[in-house]
Amino acid sequence: MRTRAALAAGGALALVVGLSACTENTDGNSGIDPNRQSSGVIATDPKDSLGPAPEVPGAVKGGTLTILRETKISHLDPQRIYNFVGLNTAPLFARFLTTWKDDGKGKVTLVGDLAETPGVNVNNDCKVWEFKIKSGVKFEDGSPITSKEIAYGIARSFNPDLAGGPTYIQEWLADTAAFDTKWDFKANKTSLPPGLTTPDDKTLRFEFAKPHCDLPFAASLPSTAPLPPAKDTGVDLDAAPFASGPYKLTKNTAGVELVFEKNEHWDPATDPVRHQYPDKFVWQFGPDATAQTDRIITDGADAATLGWNGVATSRVAKVSADGTLKGRTLLEPTPSANRLTINTQRVTDLTVRQALNYAIDREGLIKTLGGDYVASPMTTLMPPSTLGFKSFDVYPAGKNGDIEKAKATLAGKTPELVLVISDDSGDQEIGTQLKNNLEKAGFKITVRTTPSDSKLDETKKKNNQWDLYLDSWAADWPSGAAILPVLFDGRNIKPEGNSNTSFINNDAINAEFDRVLGMDPAKQADEWAKIDERIMKELAPAVPLYADVAFYIHGTKVGGLYIDSIFGYPAFTRAFVKQ
Amino acid sequence: MSMLQIETDPAGMDPTAVPVAPERGMVGRSPGRLAWERLRRNRTAMVSGWIMLFLVVLGVSAPLVELLYGIGPYEQFQDRIANNSLPLGYLGGISGDHWFGLEPKLGRDIFIRLVYGLRTSLLIATSAAVITTAIGIVLGIVAGYLGGWIDAVISWVIDFALALPFLIFALAVMPTVTARFYGPRDEIDVPFRIAVMILLFAMFGWTGTARLVRGQVISLREREFVEAARASGAGLGHILFRQLLPNLWAPILVTFSLAVPGYITGEAALSFLGIGIVEPTPDFGVMISNSLDYMDGDPMYLIIPGFVIFLLVLTFNLFGDGLRDALDPKSSR
Repeated sequence: MRTRAALAAGGALALVVGLSACTENTDGNSGIDPNRQSSGVIATDPKDSLGPAPEVPGAVKGGTLTILRETKISHLDPQRIYNFVGLNTAPLFARFLTTWKDDGKGKVTLVGDLAETPGVNVNNDCKVWEFKIKSGVKFEDGSPITSKEIAYGIARSFNPDLAGGPTYIQEWLADTAAFDTKWDFKANKTSLPPGLTTPDDKTLRFEFAKPHCDLPFAASLPSTAPLPPAKDTGVDLDAAPFASGPYKLTKNTAGVELVFEKNEHWDPATDPVRHQYPDKFVWQFGPDATAQTDRIITDGADAATLGWNGVATSRVAKVSADGTLKGRTLLEPTPSANRLTINTQRVTDLTVRQALNYAIDREGLIKTLGGDYVASPMTTLMPPSTLGFKSFDVYPAGKNGDIEKAKATLAGKTPELVLVISDDSGDQEIGTQLKNNLEKAGFKITVRTTPSDSKLDETKKKNNQWDLYLDSWAADWPSGAAILPVLFDGRNIKPEGNSNTSFINNDAINAEFDRVLGMDPAKQADEWAKIDERIMKELAPAVPLYADVAFYIHGTKVGGLYIDSIFGYPAFTRAFVKQ
Repeated sequence: MSMLQIETDPAGMDPTAVPVAPERGMVGRSPGRLAWERLRRNRTAMVSGWIMLFLVVLGVSAPLVELLYGIGPYEQFQDRIANNSLPLGYLGGISGDHWFGLEPKLGRDIFIRLVYGLRTSLLIATSAAVITTAIGIVLGIVAGYLGGWIDAVISWVIDFALALPFLIFALAVMPTVTARFYGPRDEIDVPFRIAVMILLFAMFGWTGTARLVRGQVISLREREFVEAARASGAGLGHILFRQLLPNLWAPILVTFSLAVPGYITGEAALSFLGIGIVEPTPDFGVMISNSLDYMDGDPMYLIIPGFVIFLLVLTFNLFGDGLRDALDPKSSR
């Protein structure tokens, strides 16, 4: 008996081993284009902003599209939405001043959404902007949307109780970062913030103290969604937003489920981008990425489902190798750019920073991250998805780095640098990879772990103790203006909470920022690419590493999904359910 | 051993020895020798013992193995890793150069990391077992023999230690201690982490042995030999460690041999949770924690370290069981 049991156990083990042996792992290619470039314009022709949006080939009406996510969506109040899941859900139930027409492959056009055009630069100095509001746009109760409701939406974002959303427009109107003290929303509910006026029901006017040529871009964020003052429920709006888009929230079981159903007062003729194909969109919260991926691979009951958390790391090899799943996956580069920040307050020697750039082994790093379905290499500070992006490499060293060149640049120095990483296991492997990689070039790297929940806050402190840390930046719109000045303008350095974690402050570069920020947004694009190259060449404040790659899987009945080119997450404006 | 065996094989004598010296009659054997004979006849215990010994020798001589194998535990072979971050080839990259394949992502050799991981595990587990057993013996013997308020205090401390939740305590202590001893720019030394782990195990692990020893001592302290020693004026130390202790070796040896595998899994569990050994030090817990993501893509990465730790713990446990049977043949199973 005992021998038979042993044989059975041995046989089972052999079977497991045998099954895994059946497949040879070969050096495939994800087929992702690491340099996929964005081309984009701001629509000058008002016709671009007209509805209806062109029909999606093969799209049919009806059905329920389910989206699975591990955790609930933190905010549904459009003025408070700022995370990616919120930014891509908001277009279902809310409309904004402007929005992006997006082919999902990097070709984007900024068009008017509630506005007839993406803004009129009245005096051509970017200080006065006017938006004409479309006719026939309505809320979910059928009442018309006018400039008054849009202005009220912007005004309520000054309320410190409703924090969490983007703060660009508030800061520009108030001309200070402390906008909520400059204009107190709660004391002035019937008036509007300084500089914001509604000359008539169809006109919305912004007057800024300084030029802000990026207003049309900033107006594409959900914080410009309209709201009638009578429907403002304050913090409770988070649970029941008042819809202006093609769907309205009909059921909200906190932390469990959201159900969006058709809003019959939405008129497709006014909307240049949205559709109303499925009867319902249902968000379900709970299953983690692995459970989501497994359910969707199985299909069946989950045939009309998308997993918002993407293909789980543990399933990437399986999903990418399975040819039958190819038609159900979405794979695109995203605008989330990751870099190895060099603290220039501590690493003051430019040659050391340049040598780091020569030594970096991007291919090895990407393998450590999980391969080319997770990350795609980058040699510039701005990701390829930025408008006007030009591919360049100031420190050409091949995909594995040039150790000899790095050694030559160091000229015999052996700098001792401290790399700080968070204490989760994935980050620790990256620490090992970077240490082994850089020490080959003669650096002496100390890897210091710190609790992951406080790492970001600590590295954002001006006088932090570390030399190297990993940072990532996802811009709110694909313009260099939302990347380079934010990350590298030294005049904004504060004691804490810096985005300029390299702490560079170079007068010539700062002056360049001012010059380009004052230009027409359409003409800025090329200039940002030049500044990017100049910063890398003259200052080398970071080692550009990789852009995140979006890899998603959906059921067989889902159609029309795409990865949006602005944020790099699944977008629902064209989604439909196959019958 | 059954009664039948005892009758047919008197005094557990080696049957081959009987015809050689029949005229000598009764052969005097120490209890230790008797136990050794019983252990030797237990096939499971012997096989486990040999495998255990092999693994221990392999772990202890890790640098020598590295020298012979020609690959170090931190060397990366990323040219053998495909774009999808898994090793090229079959079975997780098993080849003549890399006997157990390569780790996904970083591309380090699994065999040599296992050998070094064995060393880390065994170092922590045996040190922790030695320290906890020593503490347990001393406190147990003192409490059991002296009784009274000393016994009450020690028993109270035991109850207190048993009531503290170990994992939560460990989770809280590790970051606090490292922050206390290391500046923000310092790397946390591996020996320091190992020392803290051993200390944590020592603080919580001694209670079992102490209780066992205390109970044994209470049953022994009124026996004649103890009273005789006391009557002839022996000091406290002599009675505790020369009279009582030798009578306790059997249960102590058994708890010790069963404690070691407990600490091996305990260490792996702490490292699995990220509060024990961390990257890049080779360790079972870290390896298994990392490999869980690859159950689908690269199952060998999970199977190999999982099997080795299973084998290590199983052989320690089986050997410990055999030892108990040999030392205490009256206990039935």
